[in-house]
Amino acid sequence: MTSTNSAWKIKALWFLPLLLLLPARQARAQADITGEWSPRVYNDGMDIGDYTGIPLNDAGRLRAESWHPDQIDLPENMCRPHPIDIGLRVSVSQLLITKELDPETKQQIGYRLHVAWQEPEQVIYTDDRPHPSANAPHKWSGFSTGHWEGNTLVYTTDHLKEAYLTRTGVPRSSKSTVTTRIHRYGNYLNVTFIINDPAYLTEPYIREYSWVYTPDQVIPPFPCEMTPDGTILPAGSVPNYLPGKNDVLYDFATEYGIPPEAALGGAEQTYPEYIKKMKTMKVAPRTTTTHFKRAG
Amino acid sequence: MFCGTKTIRASRGFLLFATLLLLPVALAAQDFGARDRGPAQTGPPKTPREAAPKDFTGYWVSVVTELWRYRMLVPDKNDYQFVPLNPEGRKVADTWDPAKDQASGEECSSYAAPAIMRVPGRLHVYWQDDHTLRVDTDSGTQTRLFHFGGSLPQNDPPSWQGFSVASWEGDESVDTRDGQGGPIQDATGRLIRGRVLRQADYLKVVTSGLRPGYLQKNGIPFSANAKLEEDFDTFSDPYSGNTWLTVTAVVTDPQYLIEPLFTHAHFKKLPDNSGWDPTPCRANEPR
Repeated sequence: MTSTNSAWKIKALWFLPLLLLLPARQARAQADITGEWSPRVYNDGMDIGDYTGIPLNDAGRLRAESWHPDQIDLPENMCRPHPIDIGLRVSVSQLLITKELDPETKQQIGYRLHVAWQEPEQVIYTDDRPHPSANAPHKWSGFSTGHWEGNTLVYTTDHLKEAYLTRTGVPRSSKSTVTTRIHRYGNYLNVTFIINDPAYLTEPYIREYSWVYTPDQVIPPFPCEMTPDGTILPAGSVPNYLPGKNDVLYDFATEYGIPPEAALGGAEQTYPEYIKKMKTMKVAPRTTTTHFKRAG
Repeated sequence: MFCGTKTIRASRGFLLFATLLLLPVALAAQDFGARDRGPAQTGPPKTPREAAPKDFTGYWVSVVTELWRYRMLVPDKNDYQFVPLNPEGRKVADTWDPAKDQASGEECSSYAAPAIMRVPGRLHVYWQDDHTLRVDTDSGTQTRLFHFGGSLPQNDPPSWQGFSVASWEGDESVDTRDGQGGPIQDATGRLIRGRVLRQADYLKVVTSGLRPGYLQKNGIPFSANAKLEEDFDTFSDPYSGNTWLTVTAVVTDPQYLIEPLFTHAHFKKLPDNSGWDPTPCRANEPR
């Protein structure tokens, strides 16, 4: 037995020199995306009835049209966190990116994003862990795994709770998958979102935003306190518009001289050909050119 | 099949010898990988066309998901909500008169380099030669030339598309220390010697020599001092299979802007030139 074991040990040892010839895992230094980033975010889509540029389907449009701005004053909505793909798109989206370390080994396992508005946080795991099962709980910022493609951190987020694409009630379903690409260009940081939502979108919805490296930025806390039910709105009421009863739906289109159906979104209107088509559509007489009234 | 003690000793000795022989080769290979990716260069250096890390060529169509009403329509005069204009810039923007522009031959003001990528339309991107990437637009029938190498010619008059200097970027060197004076180690604990290079993976284009024009259809001005810096990237979306081209632009203009203006444009790759629809410059049309 001893001789046989020795023979096997020798055979095994033969592989050792060969192992040295295997390609070594390259020490790949990635772009450093960590630090404080100040937003250069231009937040359009802030009007009720402005679904322009969003490849909404009929179900998404119906949900959006039923949204009432007073819903923001419902207790359950007052401190409702924005998912990070929304939080990064509002104007006070100061961003802090830090390395996420394993608490025991202190090895980096990903990145953590923290946004000022409503303080959503998102961990992007880069340690090849699998996504949880489809039945796992969904969260406001979902579950994200990522990898580097050259200088770009690419990550996929699923397990998202239902939320909004805009602050005026355009829905994004819990079936959504968001692909995000973070790329640092010198002292600029670019974040591109591609939202795929089989429930409310007919095509991927791409958006992009930029930040500037601002190492002395201090992100303030975002305290939020709910007022009791019945304080602002009658207790138990849920403000809404029933189908076809939204009397402010077309105010945006009228204000800006847009054909009403064009303002209601859809994939077709995101392509250049739609400019010609709009010329054949009716436009309501403009009642005002006083812009920038905001709702929601 | 019998293995005697002498045989075992001899084999161990040979293995040790072989290991020691190959060790420097393996270490050198690892060090090479850390410092200088890709095969060693032999022969003449690659042309920019050969060195392209990604393929930007082909036909592309705008997908207008951002600032839709500023791009698919001609915005109202004085609507410069998302542009960091200074008072002088506002004063100029407030004098915008598209009919006057059309009559005076200034109808291409809103098709200049700082604006053209956001004008809805199609792009045809191709190599004019090994050192020049060319972008034709059907909207306004404009041509942009991205020159790899070279600099703004001193005697060229300013033009709508200016002079664009292009480079493949992303291969920045990184500090080999960890911020506290210590060397960086890789995941296996090996010291990384020398500086580490990342491969270039995007296109940077810097444009100057611009004839004053508009940042937006409604007469928001940029001056002859404006500088346009653009980063082009292309990638595929695994869920839809789309190939995207993204253009991030930063316009710096001390004459009319309080701070740099950031804009974004997105294009989807097309299989061919279907839908190519050349239009002349028009002062009162979105494209």
